[in-house]
Amino acid sequence: MGCSASLPARNSGQLGALNSEGSAVSDSKNLRVKLVLLGDSGVGKSCIVLRFVRGQFDPTSKVTVGASFLSQTIALQDSTTVKFEIWDTAGQERYAALAPLYYRGAAVAVVVYDITSPESFSKAQYWVKELQKHGSPDIVLALVGNKADLHENRSVSSQDAIDYAEKNGMFFIETSAKTADNINQLFEEIAKRLPRPTSAS
Amino acid sequence: MASDPTSLPSPSDLSIPNPSPTEEERLATLNLEEPTGNHAPIPRPLSNGSSLSADFDTGNEIEVAEEELLGDSTDLAEGSSSHGGGGWREISEQDGEVASCSPSSSGYAGERGSSGASSGIEEVDDGVALQDDWVPGKRHLDEDDASVSWRKRKKHFFILSHSGKPIYSRYGDEHKLAGFSATLQAIISFVENGGDRVKFVRAGKHQVVFLVKGPIYLVCISCTEEPYEALKGQLELIYGQMLLILTKSVNRCFEKNPKFDMSPLLGGTDVVFSSLIRAFSWNPATFLHAYTCLPLAYSTRQAAGAILQDVADSGVLFAILMCKHKVVSLVGAQKASLHPDDMLLLANFILSSESFRTSESFSPICLPKYNPMAFLYAYVHYLDEDTHLTLLTTSSDAFYHLKECRLRIEAVLVKSNVLAEVQRSMLDGGLHVEDLPVDSSRRSRSISPQMTQENNISGSRPPHMALGGPAGLWHFIYRSIYLDQYVSSEFSSPINNSAQQKRLYRAYQKLFASMHDQGTGPHKTQYRRDRDYVLLCWITQDFELYAAFDPLADKVSAIKTCNRVCQWVRDLENEIFLLGASPFSW
Ligand SMILES: Nc1nc2c(ncn2[C@@H]2O[C@H](COP(=O)(O)OP(=O)(O)OP(=O)(O)O)[C@@H](O)[C@H]2O)c(=O)[nH]1
Ligand SMILES: [Mg+2]
Repeated sequence: MGCSASLPARNSGQLGALNSEGSAVSDSKNLRVKLVLLGDSGVGKSCIVLRFVRGQFDPTSKVTVGASFLSQTIALQDSTTVKFEIWDTAGQERYAALAPLYYRGAAVAVVVYDITSPESFSKAQYWVKELQKHGSPDIVLALVGNKADLHENRSVSSQDAIDYAEKNGMFFIETSAKTADNINQLFEEIAKRLPRPTSAS
Repeated sequence: MASDPTSLPSPSDLSIPNPSPTEEERLATLNLEEPTGNHAPIPRPLSNGSSLSADFDTGNEIEVAEEELLGDSTDLAEGSSSHGGGGWREISEQDGEVASCSPSSSGYAGERGSSGASSGIEEVDDGVALQDDWVPGKRHLDEDDASVSWRKRKKHFFILSHSGKPIYSRYGDEHKLAGFSATLQAIISFVENGGDRVKFVRAGKHQVVFLVKGPIYLVCISCTEEPYEALKGQLELIYGQMLLILTKSVNRCFEKNPKFDMSPLLGGTDVVFSSLIRAFSWNPATFLHAYTCLPLAYSTRQAAGAILQDVADSGVLFAILMCKHKVVSLVGAQKASLHPDDMLLLANFILSSESFRTSESFSPICLPKYNPMAFLYAYVHYLDEDTHLTLLTTSSDAFYHLKECRLRIEAVLVKSNVLAEVQRSMLDGGLHVEDLPVDSSRRSRSISPQMTQENNISGSRPPHMALGGPAGLWHFIYRSIYLDQYVSSEFSSPINNSAQQKRLYRAYQKLFASMHDQGTGPHKTQYRRDRDYVLLCWITQDFELYAAFDPLADKVSAIKTCNRVCQWVRDLENEIFLLGASPFSW
């Protein structure tokens, strides 16, 4: 991280956390969940979110600045709804120090890499470690290998990713924001794994 | 915590002259004479009512103004065009400043990508050889516009560290530039050996301008014939843009490690810098150090200002509503004030970063003139295609509060029709020189929508018949010194393509530099005729006027027209400027 880690944090002193009112839960039927996406710049975090929220894919690169906020509600089979409040963070190095602002209090962290880029897979592992150290103890972690449509250029094997995810108690999936492959599944699987409020209905 | 904003020196501690008692008196008297029109009774910092006369003499502006007070309604001592000393500083230029640099002579990397082209920067006087392989292997990735690609090589910008590490280069990938490091090294030792004095080197057609900011060096190499002061100002803005992204605390990285590689910290910001560099040739804010407003009915702007003020009172440091690069309204908390350069850099950052358009964002940014050391947090949201709202705060966890503020603001703006008016103003455009009122009876013509419909001459005129305004007036810029704002007329024939616009701005820039040249003292007026234009500049305590006329324009009527432009702008000030309740007011 070099010096970047000291940049925004040092200036702003203690970083707060971006939480509206608690991180999850409204009632047992309607969950509200803070979700953060982390990962190297260019792996496709914003594309995944825009595919999920708006059903669109725009191939022109729009490097995220700071973080973008979007929300999307999905209905599950058991007639519960889950409202995801999504922080799509910037992967650029200078924002790394800012990440705690977005992942603190998050119920879900989605760590994304690009299956054609081993560096982005290492970066994903860096984020997993950071989340294990500083994230909420009961955070749901998902590891996502994006750009699955580029399989002919694959340089991170699925098996390596599966092994790593298993070792770290993460949910793993390969997606393509471009083809929409597994995008909804990703969020549905996350929703299923959320801790439910204990009050029986 | 971010440092206390109120303890900072106010960035707009600019040298705004305090009007002397006599001056105020004069203003008061003149106001009585102003056309009553439909203006709300609000403070009118613009109106000084002085006029420009052809035999205008430095220092006698009060006398001139008094002439007007005594009933001279023509504003001009007509026909008395004096060529004697003390009158207009008249400059005739035979050779145009443009086209002095053809593509084939612009050394770096020949037009067809051959990096072996000779010449370019050959040799600097003191023997430090600057090679021509400055920019081998161009990527052409960040071309502004393919059709004018050759022109780009006329101007290079570099940021590098004092240890010679490239940080940014306008053209080419700074990491892959073979031979680049060596050249940078040459520059650095050159700058270091020269101490503070080395700021500028001329090598044939090329100027090399240096700006040293602690461990960071900025370099411009240009054959555009822009004045040194203008190029230096551009380097200052580039440095400011870098600070906006990183803050000055990046210097600490160099203290720890002089060989620190800073370029990764600017990853993905190429577009921000290239957009700023493009602005140097189309956006007068880059040299006027002033911002411009979208023309709006006074009440519309007031409605926007009121709701922004409301959120500013709830702990938002600055609330800025803009349409593209024009201000709709802006408000600062208590004593906080926003420097026009910071606004320029912030707007450039927002407009050039596409991701802001996709959804609401929350990002650290630094306003270098406000506080170069600290980040503020910016909530940015586009309310429609062109209109964007920025809320700035010192608190890193204010997102949800700001989001709520935005919802309130948006609701009010929709309800009071501000957004629709903004869109309409965008379509109508600003001031058209063709609409310059011919006589005083039309002086108080309004550009508010109702009036525009009746009076919009330009709308019904066949496009090819328009050849500028009266007396061959092609274009003008009026900058209010008190307000830190400017208004410029829309481009119209014959300044109707971007190359001509760029050329005109370069000419203005040159005029600006010569008017503000410290060596020669601030000139009050300047009249300059060359192959391309007659240029007129008039500077008073209150405003600066830059006007371009047909090169064949008659001097006396040009001067008369300038007076009318000033009157016109004053008549419309309620609509073209953001008045009162601004963070700039005292
Ligand atoms: N082929 C392919 N390209 C993708 C896919 N997802 C994203 N991309 C491309 O990858 C580039 C970067 O995508 P972004 O979503 O902007 O990346 P990001 O992770 O948000 O990057 P930062 O905002 O800088 O952190 C874009 O140009 C997309 O076109 C995908 O599933 N398949
Ligand atoms: Mg992104």
